[in-house]
Amino acid sequence: MKNIKSLFKNEVSKKVLLFFNENQNCIDTVKGISLWIGGDIDIIQKVLNQLVKEGVITSHRTASTTAYAYTNNKEIVKKIEKYIKKFKGL
Amino acid sequence: MNESEKKEKQAFFIRFSKSGSISIFRKLCSKVLKRTRCAFLDAEYKPLKCGSECSHLRIGKYLARFRPSPSREYMVFKCSCNKICLSFPVIQGSSVYGHVLFTHLDREPNKRMIDAVRICMDLALKEFQKEQELNKLYETIRPRAIALSTIHTIHRLLSSTLNMDELIERIARLTLQVMRSRHCSIMLLDESKKYLIPKAVIDLDKEILKTDPQYKKIKLGVKQEGKAAKTGETILLRNSVCVPLVEEDIIGVISARDKTNDAPFDRFELEILITLAEQAVIAIKNAQMYEEQEKMAYGSIKTMAALLDAKSPNTFTHSDQFVKMVLAIAEEMKLPREDIANLHYAALLPDTGKFSIPDEILRKPGSLSSSEYGIIKKQHLESLKIIEHLEFLKPAMPIIRHHHEKYDGTGYPDGLKGSKIPVGARVMAVANAFEAMVSASPYKGKKISVSQAIKEIENNKGSQFDPEVVRAFIGVVKKPEFKNMPGASA
Repeated sequence: MKNIKSLFKNEVSKKVLLFFNENQNCIDTVKGISLWIGGDIDIIQKVLNQLVKEGVITSHRTASTTAYAYTNNKEIVKKIEKYIKKFKGL
Repeated sequence: MNESEKKEKQAFFIRFSKSGSISIFRKLCSKVLKRTRCAFLDAEYKPLKCGSECSHLRIGKYLARFRPSPSREYMVFKCSCNKICLSFPVIQGSSVYGHVLFTHLDREPNKRMIDAVRICMDLALKEFQKEQELNKLYETIRPRAIALSTIHTIHRLLSSTLNMDELIERIARLTLQVMRSRHCSIMLLDESKKYLIPKAVIDLDKEILKTDPQYKKIKLGVKQEGKAAKTGETILLRNSVCVPLVEEDIIGVISARDKTNDAPFDRFELEILITLAEQAVIAIKNAQMYEEQEKMAYGSIKTMAALLDAKSPNTFTHSDQFVKMVLAIAEEMKLPREDIANLHYAALLPDTGKFSIPDEILRKPGSLSSSEYGIIKKQHLESLKIIEHLEFLKPAMPIIRHHHEKYDGTGYPDGLKGSKIPVGARVMAVANAFEAMVSASPYKGKKISVSQAIKEIENNKGSQFDPEVVRAFIGVVKKPEFKNMPGASA
C-alpha cells in the first residue's frame, strides 16, 4: 500500500475512504457509492480500481456485478483511522 | 435541574450559537441595532468563547450579579467603557438556554427594536430546530439506507450464481465483509437432520479450511451452531453471532466470530446477519432446485444414452474416460462454467447424429465412398431432430452438431472453419479422435498406442484440430487418470 497521505491527496479518493471508514459494513456498487459520496461515476470507478490495487478496498465480482467494500485488514484500517483523526483534528 | 439536563442544555446552546441560522440572526440584528457586536453567554452568563469581543464579555460577571427575573426580560446597560449593551435571553418553552449579548450599540434600544430582536430570535430558533430535525433524520436514515443498499447489493451478488459451492463460499465471504469478522462458517443440515455439515469455513488468517479436521460435523444441540439449528433461535454473544437458516424448516446455520477491531457484536449486526441469512436461504434454495433440475437432466440424458446403447453398444455413446477428458480439456482451457456444463451434456450424447445412419455404413471398416459420406452428412442432421425438443439440451446442440467439423473447414455437416466452430465442438473433436485411435473397435480403424495417438493429434494441429485445444489436450492427456483409456495401450 502507498503512503496513506498520498491516498488522501486525491479529493475523490479521500471521499471514498472517509465513506468506507464511516460505514465499514457497507458493500455497494460504484453507482451506489457515487450516490452516497456524490460525483462522477467514471472518476469514482477509476479511484475504486486504484484503491483495490492498493488493498484498501476489496472487490466482489460476479459476471454482472462488481461490488466494493472496505478492507478487512486490521492494520490498514487502523492506519487510516489514525490519519483521519489527525486531519480532522480530533 | 440535574447535571445531565444542564449538559444537554449547554450542548444545545453551543450548537445553536454555531448554527447557520445564527449568522442570519446576527445580520438581521446588526441592521436593527446598527453597528453592534454579538456574543453568546450561557445560562450562567459565562461567555461561550473568549475572543475578539474583548472586555465587554466581562459583563457576564456583572450581569450574573443581577440575574434578571423573570428570565424572559432583556437588560439594557452600559459597560465599563460606557457603551450601551443589550442582553437578550434565548428561551425555549420555560427554559433559558443562554443569552445573546449585543455590545457597542450606538443608542439605547427602544421597544420596537427589542421586539424586532425577539422576532429574529424566534425565527432563528425555529430555523435551528428544523436544522436539528433534518440532521437527526440524516443521522438516522442514512446508515439505514446504506445498510439497505448493502443488502440489495448482496442479493444481486448471491443471485448471480446457481452453483452451490460457489454460492456458499460467496455467502461466507460477504458475511465476513459485512460483519467485519475474522471468521465465518456456513453449515447445512445433513439428510438425517441430526448433524450440521460445514460447507464453507473462512478464516481471515487461514483462508478456506472446510477440509480442516477441526471443522467436523456438529451434532444438533451441541455447540453454539448446533443449539441455533435445534432451537431456530439466534445467538448473540460478545465475540460471536449465530443465525439459523430457515426456509419452512431449518436447513443450516450461519455464524460469524471475532470482529476485526475486537469490538463486541451488537444488535444492529445481529439484524444485518438475520437479513443476510434470509437472502442466503433463498439463494441456497434456488441453487438446490437448480442442482435437482440438473440431476434430472443428466438422468434423462443417461437414460437416452442407455437406450441408444441397447440398440447398438458403443455406437452412440463414449466411455466415462472420454467424458472426463472432454471436461478436463475444457477446465484446462478455463472455459466458463456454463460452457463446461453444456459440454458435459453434449459429451454424454455425442453421436446421436448417427442414429439413422445405416449400420453397414457405420460399421464399415476402412474409408467411405463419397456417396456414403453424403449419407452420413444428411443423416447426422436428421438424427439430431430426435433431441432438439429437449429444452435443456438446446445449448449443447451446436456442440453435438459440429463436433465433426475440422479446423480447416473440411469437416461436416456445415464445413465451418476455425473459431466459427463452437469451442465445445472443437474440444470434443480432439477427445473423440483420441479415443477412436487408442480404443479397440472393429469399425474405428486400426488401434494405435497412446503416444502415437498424441503424435497424430499434434500433427493435425491447425488442420483438423484447433491448436489451442491441442495444447490443452497435451496438458491433460499426460495426467495419470487418462493413461487408462478403455482399450488403450501405452
